[in-house]
Amino acid sequence: MNDRPVPAILDPTDCDREPIHVPGAIQPHGLLFAFTESNFQIVAVSSNLSQFVALDPDDVLGRSLADVFDAQSAATLRAALDETGATVGSLVPIRLAQIRGAEFSGSIHRHAGLTFVELEPPEHGLADAHAFFSRTSGAIKRLQAATTLESACAAAAQEVRGITGFDRVKVYRFADDFSGQVIAEDRAEGVESFLGLHFPSSDIPAQARKLYALNPLRIIPDIDYRPARLVPDINPLSGQPIDLSLSVLRSVSPIHLEYMRNIGMHGTMSISIMRGERLWGLIACHNRAPQHVGPDARQASEMVAQVLAWQIGVMEEEAVTRQTLKGKTIQRSLISDIEQLRDHRAGLARNSAALLELMGASGLCLYSREGVTTLGATPPESAIENLVNFLGRAEGAELFQTDRLSALLPEAAAYADVASGVLAVPLSRAPPRRVMLWFRPEVAQTVRWAGNPDKPVTVVDGELRLSPRQSFAAWTEQTRGRAIPWQNHEIAAAVEIRDLVTGVILRNTEKLERVNAQLARSNEELEAFAHVASHDIKEPLRHIEAFAGMLGESIRPIGDGRLHNLVGGIESSSRRLRNLIKDLAEFSQVGRRAKPLAPASLRNIAEDVVADLRQRIDEAGATVDIDALPVAHCDHNQMRQVLQNLLSNAVKYRHSDRPCHIRIFATVLPEEERRGDARTLSTRICVSDNGIGFDPKYAEQIFEPFQRLHGPDAYEGSGIGLAICRKIVQRHGGSVGVETSPGLGSTFWFTLGTPLENKTLAPERPQS
Amino acid sequence: MTSHRESAAPLVLVAEDHNYDKMILEEVFARAGITADLRFVCDGEQMLDYLNRRGRYAEELSAPTPALILLDLNMPRLDGRKVIRIMRADENLRHLPVIALSTSESRKHITEAYSIGINAYMVKPANIPDYVAKIKSLWHFWMVTASLPAVETSPP
Repeated sequence: MNDRPVPAILDPTDCDREPIHVPGAIQPHGLLFAFTESNFQIVAVSSNLSQFVALDPDDVLGRSLADVFDAQSAATLRAALDETGATVGSLVPIRLAQIRGAEFSGSIHRHAGLTFVELEPPEHGLADAHAFFSRTSGAIKRLQAATTLESACAAAAQEVRGITGFDRVKVYRFADDFSGQVIAEDRAEGVESFLGLHFPSSDIPAQARKLYALNPLRIIPDIDYRPARLVPDINPLSGQPIDLSLSVLRSVSPIHLEYMRNIGMHGTMSISIMRGERLWGLIACHNRAPQHVGPDARQASEMVAQVLAWQIGVMEEEAVTRQTLKGKTIQRSLISDIEQLRDHRAGLARNSAALLELMGASGLCLYSREGVTTLGATPPESAIENLVNFLGRAEGAELFQTDRLSALLPEAAAYADVASGVLAVPLSRAPPRRVMLWFRPEVAQTVRWAGNPDKPVTVVDGELRLSPRQSFAAWTEQTRGRAIPWQNHEIAAAVEIRDLVTGVILRNTEKLERVNAQLARSNEELEAFAHVASHDIKEPLRHIEAFAGMLGESIRPIGDGRLHNLVGGIESSSRRLRNLIKDLAEFSQVGRRAKPLAPASLRNIAEDVVADLRQRIDEAGATVDIDALPVAHCDHNQMRQVLQNLLSNAVKYRHSDRPCHIRIFATVLPEEERRGDARTLSTRICVSDNGIGFDPKYAEQIFEPFQRLHGPDAYEGSGIGLAICRKIVQRHGGSVGVETSPGLGSTFWFTLGTPLENKTLAPERPQS
Repeated sequence: MTSHRESAAPLVLVAEDHNYDKMILEEVFARAGITADLRFVCDGEQMLDYLNRRGRYAEELSAPTPALILLDLNMPRLDGRKVIRIMRADENLRHLPVIALSTSESRKHITEAYSIGINAYMVKPANIPDYVAKIKSLWHFWMVTASLPAVETSPP
């Protein structure tokens, strides 16, 4: 099945240049006439004419075919040409005028302005037409019964072998790069199997493939034939050598014959399997002895090849449909898993086997700045990092795909065994970059995995021998660092999976944003509600107070102590209720009154607070020391509120046995206790007292709204102050807490961020 | 052209929508020992009708010009603030002293009220003795200390 140049120049690049369509000769088992159709004038004839009939080429050149063929044959030929507009393969029975008994099969075709008729002796061993057609229709039925590509090809090989009697018939399939593989075979006993072998694209060079696409069948009955020259080898219309592209008798490349000799074959035939315009594969036949196959059997074989091509078409479409369905199933499972697990990585991991199979990939990687998730066989993470950087530089394309990564990124040769093929689908276009990477191993790896050829490849004594084994070695070399190319439907599937994953991520993000917005809204609503509610409750409460007050004054003259107490109860309850409402309103206003954080001197704020509370401090006989305090990122008014609450608490809960002493100071938090980025929350502000303290088990509770440790009779207040402090500090991103000891005192603290330039706790103004 | 000071009880026009607030105010005036002719309107519209002698106040005698106006800032329909703006834009009404009554202690509200032209702002106390004391001093200031503008008994 090779058309190769002579062994002396065994360079695959030369193959492509050998003009095999103009060999200037045919194989001698038939006769070729080239003529101009308008006048039936013979312009060339094969030099072996005299072997069939007592005529020399010179006797017929320039004469009409009608003179050389018998009258009926000439008429039939003319009719066939008129009727069919024959290109390739039309068969007509031809008798030469001089030898009336022998009927030839005439194959006619037109090419490059000339019409050709190639005569072959009557076929041997063929039964009647009826037997031929029943045989052919049986073959077609058996072929159509096949359910898989492999079994269809195997059936085709078997049928062609049955029709032609070759020792070995194999079905050879071209890959996208025109390398090929034997995917089915039928052979006689004792004939070596080529099944599963791969061949490099150079084995069947481009111009041979072009010929195969034009002319569906080639045959060499005997490789040791002596070529019969064309006389003359010139097309009078073009002045060029005669183009035998569509000839069945065309003499073949010597290297092809060499190849046949090397594999011990003497007769060969090959039929193209065409899928539309594309050369899908070949049915290649070999015979140890010379083997002639007549035109009828050839036509039957061609028909088998055609039926196989249709069958392949149907199966390929089915396969794509199945693949698509399978893809959809996997996608559904992926969606539901991602939704269920609430994590696209976990969802992908759970479906990794199915996904990898679907994509024909051996590994998958989800790359993002936050981390790298790998499934299956992938390059090491450091290599993935480099690869993603490399891809980042190859900008523009939304998708990146290659079947030979190491040709673009040399370092990838190190992991060619897992990632010669890469399909990168970006999950996000804008940084931070997130990419989904599919990996495919080197083809040779794939083939070895597929359990291919048994015997190791050997080079005999370093001698250059053309053989399938050597071809396999060449193919292995050719495919080094290369993966099976990504098919369009696979790329589409990868994009679908990407869209699905990003869709889910997006939906989750949107959901989160929606929930956040809802939270913010309901928070606002709650605050607004608390504000309005407190305002509206105040109104009737004020009335109650006023009426109770008037009632109290009205009954005073009566001097009834019991009545007086009852009215007093109404008054004090409404007063308490009013305070509660006032505090609640204040608490609800923390968020509403918030102002942007800005650097402010805590020391100034603390001093202002002390000044505000001066009267109470003095009344309590308390002393307040303010240490050096930093400048902090804060809402000035709110910070003032916090310090005011803490300071007034410290005064309020002073110990009756000793003078009240309060200290306000700051400490720098050790690294490990900081939250968020280092800039923020680095400072702890403390308000320390020597008051009554409390049981530390309430240390959390007292920051809850309306939580009090003391009855309202002992200490005034609704218990909202510390809750407000906590809310404000939390708004600043900090936290609050207390260290306390009953009877000894408490230190309330909160954390705040300070501006970078203010790391030292230098006092803002001289300590007073 | 007579002054209200000449009549026995000075007329105080009170715009107050809430019945209890009216009751409380009457009680407070009584406890303060003030003899005043308290006339109540329920909202801003009624108040403007009164001052302009429109609608139910069309008859001159039914709506004598007040010596003092007590105005609740939060009223239905025509809000107290709008009433003040309208009054201050009206040549015939802009001289009338208006005291705002409100429950809000918010600095913002107080400043706003003054900026649109009220003469005084009083937070309604819940405590009756406080309320009585405030009304007494208010009355003393406006009716004794301050000199009030002359008022027309009928519109020009």
